[in-house]
Amino acid sequence: MLLSMDKELIQIIGVTLKMSFFSTLISCLIGMPLGVLIEKGSFFGRGLLKKLSSTLMGLPPVVAGLIVYMLFTRYGIFGSLGLLFTVEVMIVAQVMLITPVVLCLTSSVVSVSGNPLKETARGLGLKRGRTLSLFLIHNRRALLSVVLTAFGRSIAEVGAVSLVGGNIQWKTRVMTTAILLETNKGKFTFALALGIVLLIISLIVNVSASLLSKGGKDSDKM
Amino acid sequence: MIRCENTVKRYGERTVLDIKELTVNKGSSVALTGANGSGKSTLLKIIAGTTAFEGTVRASGRILYMPQKIIAFDMSVLSNVTFSLKGRKSEKEERAMAALSRVGLKELYKKNALTLSGGECARLSLARILVNDCDILLLDEPTGAVDIEGTEIIENTVREYISEKERTLIIATHSPLQAKRMADRVIMLQKGSIVEDCSPDELLKAPSTEFGKKFVDMWRY
Repeated sequence: MLLSMDKELIQIIGVTLKMSFFSTLISCLIGMPLGVLIEKGSFFGRGLLKKLSSTLMGLPPVVAGLIVYMLFTRYGIFGSLGLLFTVEVMIVAQVMLITPVVLCLTSSVVSVSGNPLKETARGLGLKRGRTLSLFLIHNRRALLSVVLTAFGRSIAEVGAVSLVGGNIQWKTRVMTTAILLETNKGKFTFALALGIVLLIISLIVNVSASLLSKGGKDSDKM
Repeated sequence: MIRCENTVKRYGERTVLDIKELTVNKGSSVALTGANGSGKSTLLKIIAGTTAFEGTVRASGRILYMPQKIIAFDMSVLSNVTFSLKGRKSEKEERAMAALSRVGLKELYKKNALTLSGGECARLSLARILVNDCDILLLDEPTGAVDIEGTEIIENTVREYISEKERTLIIATHSPLQAKRMADRVIMLQKGSIVEDCSPDELLKAPSTEFGKKFVDMWRY
């Protein structure tokens, strides 16, 4: 099945990658600047926000799915958009789940090297923009590992996407929900094929993340 | 020239620095000495403008500051030095290589800076600073984690750099002997206040306070 590249299999892989890519991208665009702000900023409620984001890191996917479902259901606040059971709303649920992870991991990267790096940059007379680019270059491995962790979490998620996506064939079916369905139907060959693909993708992502974070650990030579 | 008036730094209720008046003339070399937590680094940070404070600090000219916590940027040794420079790549690299040569790291220019030893990191950090021009140079324990050979390289390089132009140097050090080698004036801090302000020889021979005597005696021992 894998070698003949079944049409449905390709479609499911495509939807999964699309959903994971966009949810990771949006989560990083929101979570990374917020992570820096929470660690470096001084504003009212900073401590509370930090605790809240740590708590949300452990948000059960089905709870996130339920919240998004209620928001996008016909009688929900965003019901008029008609997005329930689409890939878009699956991305929203994923963003809700992954953003706290990105935020907390970015915050910890900043807490490790932020201050000494900023002080060194200011000592060299670097302007704010140049200091930011130094931070991004210096922490590129650690930040890339944050991105990969987010992607890994997104691609492996099942509870929330199943709830808000509805696991509709040729539309919102992703690898994890398909595996669940095919297993329930007793179609183990297809489920296994999907499982292998998911495993390969997860393996690539996780090995890359662990290799990069290993590099990132050594990034501060004191 | 640097002038501090009623310069105070507080962390909550705790006052870590309280300088009534301090003037450092242009072209002079001053060593800040004292025990851990005496306020040496805080004073340097204040002059460098990297921390908030109460009071007035006036400094004329470009200031370069090398913090105590040394960080090697995750890039090549050469890029570490060129990073703060502007201009054409070839010019930047030429200047960087000259700075690396001064601190004895020329051969390592291609290596990733994270692979350097602690002493090499300190020399790289100095090269990063000295590749730039400045009027005031602030060094916070630049040889804190460096062996004798490295200390000699750093001290010689700094002395050369200072003498090139009428540059002002303020160096924080635990060692009264390094203060003697590097500066013509020593300021000893205790609990954030100035307790000695004299020449290095005077400090070593006849400290005027009990704390000064104890501090110098410990170094002799």
